[in-house]
Amino acid sequence: MSYEAKRCGVQFSPPSIVLFYEDKETKHVRKRVMPVRNFSKYSDYSMAAERLKNNPRHRDYLENVPQSQLEKLHIILRDHMEGLSLEHSLASFRLDPDEDLNKLDDDELARKKGQMDELFEKNRRRKDDPDFVYDVEMDFGKTTQEKCSWDEESDDGF
Amino acid sequence: MAGDIGSIPELDQKKYDSDEQVKIICLGDSAVGKSKLMERFLMDEYRPQQLSTYALTLYKHTATVGNKTVAVDFWDTAGQERFQSMHPSYYHKAHACIMVFDVQRKITYKNLAGWYKELREYRPEIPCCVVANKIDADLKVTERSFNFGKKQGLPFYFVSAADGTNVVKMFREMMKRAVDYKQNPSDFMDEVMQELENFDLEKKEGNSEADEDALKAESPEVV
Ligand SMILES: Nc1nc2c(ncn2[C@@H]2O[C@H](COP(=O)(O)OP(=O)(O)O)[C@@H](O)[C@H]2O)c(=O)[nH]1
Ligand SMILES: [Mg+2]
Repeated sequence: MSYEAKRCGVQFSPPSIVLFYEDKETKHVRKRVMPVRNFSKYSDYSMAAERLKNNPRHRDYLENVPQSQLEKLHIILRDHMEGLSLEHSLASFRLDPDEDLNKLDDDELARKKGQMDELFEKNRRRKDDPDFVYDVEMDFGKTTQEKCSWDEESDDGF
Repeated sequence: MAGDIGSIPELDQKKYDSDEQVKIICLGDSAVGKSKLMERFLMDEYRPQQLSTYALTLYKHTATVGNKTVAVDFWDTAGQERFQSMHPSYYHKAHACIMVFDVQRKITYKNLAGWYKELREYRPEIPCCVVANKIDADLKVTERSFNFGKKQGLPFYFVSAADGTNVVKMFREMMKRAVDYKQNPSDFMDEVMQELENFDLEKKEGNSEADEDALKAESPEVV
């Protein structure tokens, strides 16, 4: 049997992760509610996400849902338990290229990194990929180079 | 106590004086990908050693450079970059430096100037390079030229920790330069610098206790 994950979200009470998926045999889109048990505002969201992903009852459905996505949904549930708004949670994930991430505390930084992980995982070449090459070299020196606008307001250091 | 830092074997930096021991440090803002680059280079060998008291992570690697086997310690920060400054012990005895920015975030490029300045205060001569990470996110950036470090003649690498582009090449070249620097302190100027450093050290020995306390006082979150 094979399922294709379409969309996922949360339900606050009882705390659950919700998945819409397509059953590849019947072509029907269905909704699956997966209650998150033993999860409090003190719980480790990354462990909880892993537990859910490996849960024998759910894992077939969650196979192509990235771990980082499940972590995010757990963070939203945890924020809610702490009385924080959904808007707050969503804003904490948003990547603003001008934001100075040096200023964030561990938790805030982990959220941004979690967001970055989506692209990272997508572009990642893994060791067990059949076409994996350890030493990939590419020479960019020869292409005609435009001056980088980041250098424009150049100061002494540049 | 001076023994405080010395009593942690991993931090006994005297070993970096021996020919077979090399220390390479990573610098750059939070989330530019310093740790992912280490992980990509070391792969199965990746066994980071967390020294949370000092907010740093060490990676040990054995390499063959030329016809010599050398033990390379890579030093990576584990949150200390937040203070936009590193403790002097981070720079101490380093033989090369890898400076990283994120091609998706201009601020991390702009902050290189500050990192470079601090590096040169402690290590005026060691080989250093500029690494533009995350090029997989937008290959077009490789058509642009980034001029930071050009004046100082620092080698520049476009890399991606995600797909591996130029990661191994960059690390190998930097290890080679670190070993070269160590074996032939490039010129007279360099010898003078080393003498100055040693002199500085002797002077410091006496008040390293104060240094240690200062580190802890400045960054209580780190403990
Ligand atoms: N797309 C992409 N993302 C990356 C790359 N390297 C790192 N990242 C992302 O950037 C985040 C921060 O990387 P990390 O190594 O923790 O940064 P550090 O704080 O400098 O050590 C990671 O969680 C990844 O999601 C890369 O080469 N490409
Ligand atoms: Mg790191």
